[in-house]
Amino acid sequence: MKYLLLSVLFPVFFLGLVHADSVKIGFNVPLTGFAAADGKSALNGAKLAVKQANQAGGINGKMIELVVYDDQASPKQAVPISNKLIEKDKVVAAISGSYSGATRAAAGVFQSAEIPYISAYAVHPEITKAGNYVFRTSFMGEVQGRAGAKLIGATLQRKRVVLITLKNDFGKSLAAGFKEAAGQFNLQIVNEYEYSIKDRQFGPIVAKVKADAPEAIYATGYFFTAGPLVSQLRAAGITVPVIGQEGYDSEQFIKIAGKASEGTIITTSLDRDSNSSETRSFISEFEAMAGHKVDMVAASGHTAMKVLVAAMKKAGTTSPSAIRNAIAQTNLVASTGSISFNDLGEVQKNVQVQVVRDGDFHYHSEIRDQVLLAPPTR
Amino acid sequence: MLFLDLLIQGLLQGSIYGLIAVGLTLVYGLLRILHVAHAGLFTLGGYICVIVTNQTSSFLLAVLTSMILVGLAGMIIYRICYQPILDQPPFVPLIASIGLFIAMEELFRIFFGAYGLSFTELPLQEPLALMQINLKQAEWITIASSVGFVAMLAFLANRTKLGLAWKATVTDPEIASSFGVNIIQVRYLNFFIGSSLAAVSGCMMAVLNNLVEPTMGSVPSYKMLAIIVLGGLGNVRGTLIAAVLLGIIESYGTIYLDDLLDRDSIAFVFLIIALMIRPQGLFQRH
Amino acid sequence: MAYEISLLIVMGISITAGLSLNLITGFCGQISLGHAAFMGIGAYTSALMTKNGFPFFPSLAAGMLLAGIAGFFVGLSSLRVRHDFLAITTMGVGFLFIGLVRQQDALGGEMGISGIPDPGLGKIGFLLLVLGCAALVILFCQFMKRSWLGFSFDVVADDEDTALLMGLNVTQFKLIAFAIGTCLAGLAGGLYAHNVRFIDPESFGFIESITVLSMVVIGGIGSVWGVVIASAVLSVLPLWFQFIEDYKLLVYGLLLFSVMRFSPGGLSAIFSKIFTRSLK
Repeated sequence: MKYLLLSVLFPVFFLGLVHADSVKIGFNVPLTGFAAADGKSALNGAKLAVKQANQAGGINGKMIELVVYDDQASPKQAVPISNKLIEKDKVVAAISGSYSGATRAAAGVFQSAEIPYISAYAVHPEITKAGNYVFRTSFMGEVQGRAGAKLIGATLQRKRVVLITLKNDFGKSLAAGFKEAAGQFNLQIVNEYEYSIKDRQFGPIVAKVKADAPEAIYATGYFFTAGPLVSQLRAAGITVPVIGQEGYDSEQFIKIAGKASEGTIITTSLDRDSNSSETRSFISEFEAMAGHKVDMVAASGHTAMKVLVAAMKKAGTTSPSAIRNAIAQTNLVASTGSISFNDLGEVQKNVQVQVVRDGDFHYHSEIRDQVLLAPPTR
Repeated sequence: MLFLDLLIQGLLQGSIYGLIAVGLTLVYGLLRILHVAHAGLFTLGGYICVIVTNQTSSFLLAVLTSMILVGLAGMIIYRICYQPILDQPPFVPLIASIGLFIAMEELFRIFFGAYGLSFTELPLQEPLALMQINLKQAEWITIASSVGFVAMLAFLANRTKLGLAWKATVTDPEIASSFGVNIIQVRYLNFFIGSSLAAVSGCMMAVLNNLVEPTMGSVPSYKMLAIIVLGGLGNVRGTLIAAVLLGIIESYGTIYLDDLLDRDSIAFVFLIIALMIRPQGLFQRH
Repeated sequence: MAYEISLLIVMGISITAGLSLNLITGFCGQISLGHAAFMGIGAYTSALMTKNGFPFFPSLAAGMLLAGIAGFFVGLSSLRVRHDFLAITTMGVGFLFIGLVRQQDALGGEMGISGIPDPGLGKIGFLLLVLGCAALVILFCQFMKRSWLGFSFDVVADDEDTALLMGLNVTQFKLIAFAIGTCLAGLAGGLYAHNVRFIDPESFGFIESITVLSMVVIGGIGSVWGVVIASAVLSVLPLWFQFIEDYKLLVYGLLLFSVMRFSPGGLSAIFSKIFTRSLK
């Protein structure tokens, strides 16, 4: 009876508390427009982390309140939104669940207001260069590109590679990292083709790749471009390994490419077959909450929030500079690996290699190479 | 061999452009509206195709349903959106159309989800070799349907009473109506046919990519405008030729011009050159 | 204040951009679907210059100049093609611009240009600059509208053939309108670049061109105050619409559509209707 009464009263009590004794974290994310799919997934990941933290007693007794604004992945809108988060909502820290353009524009605003800001999955190299209040919990494109080169040259033992590069900051920085490390693993880049994020028909590129007859294909992209691309490559009778990255990391990729997705290898930060209890519990809780399979973006949103919450607990105050210092000293295990930052606010962790088998992502190998995977420093 | 492969791929891409642009040029020919929301109807066609195929596992039924429903949707758009503002300067229906297109894209996202939809069992994937050219069934059907539908359209226009009425209305609505042509009916029919061609195009796109997404109409929405201008606004045959030519040029351009220019801007280089030489479009209106 | 300042800056830049297109479309009847390209030229020029150590104001001026020169050449094409064809040609120019920028590593390519220096005017100073520019552009447009030049523009906008009959040099007016309009677009672009301090090709793409055009059309083509109000409101609408979350863009699309469908003359037509009614 006592519990029943409590559970009836608790929501009312709780509502009263939200304003009185809560701490606000900002979150800018695309929820409408072309990037909405990734935005929703990242937001769900972050919401899960907030829910877990609040159930565990919040931050030193205070409940976390997530303030979410839709930025449509547009740099133009990100600037006023950041100002609003800082000034109107008085957030103590914020996370970007958005793409590079919006994140880069917002990072400058947060830096000049000296509010800690964490980029969950945007890859643009310039983001953390905004200043010492900006961090990134995901791989930089270059780092992951270098891992791709090692995967093809060392793990798979292939030499002749064709690059199919997505023409945006994501694809370009991956390709740059790949090319940088290619020599180190004796890779010969036969050709590089570029495509736009809006392309779904790759007929001409596929025809040319077929004529090039490479031993492996390093194709950058997101699941919605990679799905059609991989299935068109396979339909043309090209059987060599296709190596993708975290942009492929979604069940949608397998859905779109169907049987053609089998054998596709990707570098990512989420190991589906991981034994780590952190990763296991994240995957099961996320899938129960969101109703669809986990993807890289969701895991990244969750990781960024988890890092921030841990830092805020450690800081013990809501002073932004204390939180910043606590983030900088982060050392924890999240669903996307163990996180610690270098002086630029970039993370160093191992790259997970996953392969599509029987319609699901599974463990293929892991790339542990402290030197190769070292992000740039300040 | 590569040369031929690229040609075929260009032809394939051109056929998709053609189907959607021909529908648009029909609308333009009759009403002088730059009907951007046509690309929204193309997307709608793709969605209906995937949904009906997944429910009934009959692709043919899905295409027919899609053509009819999208055709009707086109008529409704004409009635509700364009008819009341036909006498306004051209940018009024243009902006209205863009607004409608944005709204349609968002409706697809809200109703069917941001991830888009795929077939549970992808139809027409068997390889089929004709004249030593190896393509999937779906690709053959795409090429055949664009040629077939345009031929049918030409037959309709030139050999039937209905076609005559349509041509008369395009040339001079007032004279046509004084000869007893029901202009209103011609306009509805025009929207029906144009929109169902967009639906066919959407269906083929869905099968080729195994994916329909809320934003799949965004590239066609502007590229088809370039095509209908190159084809001579309102000229069906010219539009098909322009579409196929563009498909082929893009196909080679993707491989050989890419360091210089983005594939999507190739169309516009040709457009600008063509318009500077021939301000009335590559092909005269008939 | 910072939030209000950032909103006012966004509004001020949009007003400059909207009015710059209004000079071309409204006063001279030339539809442009690629106006963002000229903002892009202004933005890229000024950003590259300030990044390389040039002072802010000369860089801004250089951006305006280059955009105006580019506009002049596009204006030349408007002498050759008309109406719908011109609309599509300008759209082509827009795509060509981002297509070229995308492939040029010197211009930042896909990665865009980040770390654009702060103009060093402070938040309030920059706001005053933006609002000052917008105010000057408003005054200029009012002046143009009332002056003889503006009258001639109107005739060209209404009917080129009549204008020719009246002995007006249509060619000259079109070129002037294009050059001034695109030059002011370059100004808007330069201000944008130093406000957001990150630019990439997509920021000046087709969607941006359409956004600017809808400001003009919704405000009422040719009406200075209509365009000012529409630019100010439309630019911050997505931010005000946060509370309707998922339906934000849907409402925006339907709004564009509804204004055109029910009041093709835009806001200025609605206002004048209300005004005449209240007089009666």
